[in-house]
Amino acid sequence: VTLAAAVTDHVGPAERWTQPDARDFNTVNRLITAPLLERGSLSWKTWWIGFAISLVLTLTMLVSIIWLFVKGVGIWGVNSVVVWGFALANYVWWIGIGNAGTLISSMLLLARQKWRASTNRFAEAMTLFAATIAGLFPILHLGRPLYFYWLVPYPNTMTVWPQWRSALIWDFWAILSYILFSIIFWYVGLIPDLATLRDRARGRFARTFYGACALGWRGSARHWRQHEILHLTLACLGVPLVVSLHSVVGMDFAASLMPGWQETIFPPYFVVGAMYSGFAMVVCLAALVRWGFNLQPLITVAHFEVMAKIMLSASLIMGLAYATEWFTAWYGGELADRSLLVFQFTGAYAPLYGALLVCNVFVPQAFWFAAVRRNITAVFAIAVIINIGMWIERILIVWNTLSHDYLPSSWRLFIPTIWDWLLLFGSLGLFALMFLVFVRIFPAVSMHEVRSLIEEETGAEETTT
Amino acid sequence: MTRPPATLREGGAPPPHDETAFAVDRRAALRFLASSAALALASCGRPSEQVVPYVEIPEGVTPGIRMAFASALALAGYARGVIVTAIEGRPIKVDGNPRHPASFGATDIFAEAAILSLYDPDRSKAPRIHGGLRSWPAFEGELQTQITQERARDGAGLRILTNRVTSPTLLGQLQGVLKLFPEAKWYRYEPVDDDAERGGAMQAFGRPLTALPRLRDARVVLALDADPIGCGPEQIRLSREFVAARQAPSAADFLRLYVVEPAFTLTGANADHRLPLDHALIRNVALVVAAGLGAAVEAPPLPDAADRFARAVTADLKARAGQAMVMAGRRQPAEVHALCHWINHALRAPVDFIAPVDPAAAGHGESLRALASEIAEGKVQTLIILAGNPVYDAPGELKLAEAIASVPFSAHLALYDNETSACCKWHLPLSHPLESWSDLRAYDGTASIVQPLIRPLYDSRTAHQLLAFLDGAVAASSYDLVRSHWQNEAGATDFDSWWRQTLEDGVIADSAAKKVSVGDASLPKVAPGLAPGTLSLVLGPDPSIWDGSFANNAWLQECPKPLTKQVWGNALHVSKAQAARLGLVDGNVVRLRCAQGTLEAPVLVRPGQADQTIEATIGYGRTLAGAIGNSIGFDLNALRRLDAPWVIDGVEIARTGRQQELLLTQHHFQLEGEARELQPRFTLAELAQGRADHLAKPGDNPPTLYPPRANDTYAWAMVIDTGACTGCNACVVACQSENNVPIVGPAEIAVGRDMHWLRIDSYLVDERPGFSPIPCMHCEHAPCEPVCPVAASVHDAEGLNLQVYNRCIGTRFCEANCPYKVRRFNFFGYADGEEYANFGAESIRAMFNPDVTVRARGVMEKCTYCVQRISRARRAAEKENRRIRDGEVVTACQAACPTRAISFGDLSDPEAKIHALRREPRSYALLGDLGTRPRTTYLARLDNPNDALAEHGS
Repeated sequence: VTLAAAVTDHVGPAERWTQPDARDFNTVNRLITAPLLERGSLSWKTWWIGFAISLVLTLTMLVSIIWLFVKGVGIWGVNSVVVWGFALANYVWWIGIGNAGTLISSMLLLARQKWRASTNRFAEAMTLFAATIAGLFPILHLGRPLYFYWLVPYPNTMTVWPQWRSALIWDFWAILSYILFSIIFWYVGLIPDLATLRDRARGRFARTFYGACALGWRGSARHWRQHEILHLTLACLGVPLVVSLHSVVGMDFAASLMPGWQETIFPPYFVVGAMYSGFAMVVCLAALVRWGFNLQPLITVAHFEVMAKIMLSASLIMGLAYATEWFTAWYGGELADRSLLVFQFTGAYAPLYGALLVCNVFVPQAFWFAAVRRNITAVFAIAVIINIGMWIERILIVWNTLSHDYLPSSWRLFIPTIWDWLLLFGSLGLFALMFLVFVRIFPAVSMHEVRSLIEEETGAEETTT
Repeated sequence: MTRPPATLREGGAPPPHDETAFAVDRRAALRFLASSAALALASCGRPSEQVVPYVEIPEGVTPGIRMAFASALALAGYARGVIVTAIEGRPIKVDGNPRHPASFGATDIFAEAAILSLYDPDRSKAPRIHGGLRSWPAFEGELQTQITQERARDGAGLRILTNRVTSPTLLGQLQGVLKLFPEAKWYRYEPVDDDAERGGAMQAFGRPLTALPRLRDARVVLALDADPIGCGPEQIRLSREFVAARQAPSAADFLRLYVVEPAFTLTGANADHRLPLDHALIRNVALVVAAGLGAAVEAPPLPDAADRFARAVTADLKARAGQAMVMAGRRQPAEVHALCHWINHALRAPVDFIAPVDPAAAGHGESLRALASEIAEGKVQTLIILAGNPVYDAPGELKLAEAIASVPFSAHLALYDNETSACCKWHLPLSHPLESWSDLRAYDGTASIVQPLIRPLYDSRTAHQLLAFLDGAVAASSYDLVRSHWQNEAGATDFDSWWRQTLEDGVIADSAAKKVSVGDASLPKVAPGLAPGTLSLVLGPDPSIWDGSFANNAWLQECPKPLTKQVWGNALHVSKAQAARLGLVDGNVVRLRCAQGTLEAPVLVRPGQADQTIEATIGYGRTLAGAIGNSIGFDLNALRRLDAPWVIDGVEIARTGRQQELLLTQHHFQLEGEARELQPRFTLAELAQGRADHLAKPGDNPPTLYPPRANDTYAWAMVIDTGACTGCNACVVACQSENNVPIVGPAEIAVGRDMHWLRIDSYLVDERPGFSPIPCMHCEHAPCEPVCPVAASVHDAEGLNLQVYNRCIGTRFCEANCPYKVRRFNFFGYADGEEYANFGAESIRAMFNPDVTVRARGVMEKCTYCVQRISRARRAAEKENRRIRDGEVVTACQAACPTRAISFGDLSDPEAKIHALRREPRSYALLGDLGTRPRTTYLARLDNPNDALAEHGS
């Protein structure tokens, strides 16, 4: 809370979260609903190109999944010792991205960070899509994916229950509850906007569709009050949930016996890492949505600046976490830990480890400079770099430990195959596809929250002037 | 073990040949059982074709109950006694015969893998001539014509080529044939020859003798390029004796082994002191020793370190005269062997001598050269090749392929339609030893009867049958031939009971060759060796596929070579000095040039190799081995010469700039600093000083928050003595055979996947290799168990960590969390529809042990401590209402181990022998400080270094 307050403190009156020309409710509504209700007013060429590319990638993913089911997980680069590979790294990466939407919506809501209003909707959608994709990987990675439901404690003739001590079971529940929560939270936030769309829609189909989705929202004070309470309550639930989710993901590794994994720092370190990569993805999407739907009046440079500050602080925490790992490995004096540390810096994956440090720790230091923070292209580029860096971090967590654990006789490397890459890029395609469809069906920015932001901003202006 | 009457019988007209691949389904298996059971009921001599419906279960045959038969398997012609287990008529497992002097109840990898070669889908199934299948009668018709012609000229055109023959029956038959055809000749060629040993005995004693070293009685041994512990027909006996001589706690009673060799062998790996020395200089060490013992030779110059070594060894040998011995290897010339005989004589070494078991007088190379020149002179009209594959494995200078192809009538009786068959007019399918009656002698002369366990799977014949045909007997049965031979030989009054007893024992009583007393060994003239100016290529049989005859055996191809861990191929081993000089790293392809030709091959940089030495193994580069063995590795036979087949001097190598991936199952060998505790080693003195006390001891557990697990039943545990482990791999293949462990093939190995439940970790500490067999540790606090989300990895009441295959969904978290990395995952259906090459063939399925589940794709598997054997013992015990006795459960790895390095027992039994082993001062738990409480624990390796060679391992 204090951190969030600190980063927004010096935003002067001139740098509000909306531009003055958009500060009336009708303009806001029109700006946001234009892509949905006045499609002709925008050029959809880029959207179609994006859609085609992401469709191709999605089909690639489909093909690689089918091939995976036909042949078995042996089509990947996993081997007898490095038994985990891209699938687990992709999972952790996607679930990390899936973190930021809830963080922005809940944590910033509770922290009364009003600027979140223009970003939380698509961030929540991002969360939902990313978490869904993340949820696929643990199933795809199974040797016998058809039996994934054995993780569910259902009554069965074998009278066998899941094994509750396994971090993977915790994980299963964490993802499941997170996805369910994300859907509810996202949808609850969407209801007033759906009603707005229903009311503004001209086509009969759109009216019916949005009307059905709006669940009879009439905008009464009672509705608003109950909505507010529900939204806040969900936000209160969401914050611990998102923290626990990523802590549990961290425990997938930490609740083990392996050097480089068995570290108490993992849960918080994973939460911060998730927030980090999630914010980076939000920045990327914000830049694209802003540019694609002419939302410059609602998503301003100030948004990018404040998110850059959050990424900067996260990068410092990540740097600290890395340094802590090195220190404890050395200070703990365990042979395997020290040997692993040496391997990280000098082994076969050392160039990747260097890239990780550059992407996650060094490059984001550019955000110390206001000029960089306020340059949307630069912020976008750095956010992409951070996402790459975070993916490398995830894969190295898996690779380093498994490639270099206790017995030197079992030290082996992981060599990715074409199917590893296809599934990774295919999942990016699926994500893009879902996002592109989302922005054509639902308002990418929350109208009612932006309206209340404008209410506040104009109020603030009045008091200052 | 109870053994039913051994009256299986073969012979008679074979069933019509089925062109389709051999298929054993349930019905076929039952049919085999029924027919073999019917034969068991029927007395000998009657036709075997009567099939009895299974409902009439013969006495003594219960479905699902295994039956064991004693037999013998040959390696290089010499027998190793085995006990083969068959279940419902299918042989499924080979174990050693405890009564046999070449097996002592243990096996080697080749014996274990015989099961797979029996069911090999690539085996030859019917007679063949170029271009098509023929029937046996067609062949017999042609052969008959040939015989008639040969008889007219007293067999002047008839030549028979065999491998080494030790079978008394076959030798008798050969003599019979030679008597019938006085001008005919018999040649024999064994690719792994003993010409140097034989020549040495001739020079030293003036007659051919075989030396049988009694390592058990030796206390100081110097091996000069000799590899008694490495693979070979004597491996089991010699390594058993070697380890037996290294049990005493005091240095005086503990065998000390010195090895001088150009490149690492298993013997070198197990040595207390080892000196890498180029091949040409090794004789100088022998000369120094001889001079030190008073021989009238001049001690030749040696490099300083080698000289110091040789003098220290001489002093040690002298001090222990009567218990000291020198051995020379097959790469050393005959005169060095003779010199060693002289030294041994001077030392009163514990070596026995017998007349050679292989009666052929001529050397192997000499024999083959004579055949080749006779063919060239056009003297050979009819060539019968019994087994073997000389076209592939003979030195290239003979150009044997062209020679054999030019013989008017040639026939090759062999298991596979191989390179030699391709040059012969006729290829004839040979029955597998597990399908045929025969007899064999072991290295020391002990004879055994070879019993079939199954009727021939294909339309094949034995060598006995073919020779009998030459002798005029049509449709002879091997059984009759072997039996009648022994009827004459045994001279027993009650032959039937003699025969029965012999078959039960697997050993013919008192058949070992009589020891010969030798006089003084004469001192040969040995010219001192000169430091080599060029590189020498030293060769040897391959530790996995021997001379190439096992090339189509996938278990052996995928068995990691003990020292390099290479599978599916060979490499040129270059010394570190050469690698540095040429800038070579592992996998660089070099062009090797010598007088005989050139070759391109990948290199592997090896520690502890003499600078000017390149080492490689033969047996690879087969072209007609079968689906498994074709085009694996490179063939060196073309470069070999007949007179010195194991050493090629004047070799040059040059880089080609190309790279070839070497398939290794272990990539890191070096242990330094603290990591040495992963494979601790102590000298006897260090152990006495208590230097092993700091090791993590079994039962010495770090604290835990969990309550102790209640134990009210057996508590199984294993102790592995790394001091006794010689690295021979028998356990690895035994485990594979017992537990239906599939092979994965070279492409999967390249990705880093393998399926061995038991691996042998080989580490180098100060350039000295050591071996730790790593099965599952069956941790009491197993890290694999809490991480499995579906409880597929569970602990049973007896302390076994078990994998429930049908519950496993394949998260692989268990393997990720296993500190020992002993779990193996079915990334593909290695045994379940996605098999390598022809490993999915129907015949392979007959090989499976029915007590062990064949694992499906996507599930994890691992060592079970042979839980099926524990269950079997438990059933037997419960029937008798008693506990399982100590030593009653023997795991497959334990049974196979030639040196008894593996012990297994019940911790809940205070009397169990395993307690004493766990309490030994050198006992340790691998990674015991992790708190996993492994049930498999180890005994550290012990060395007995000579203080005079203070720099350990120099």
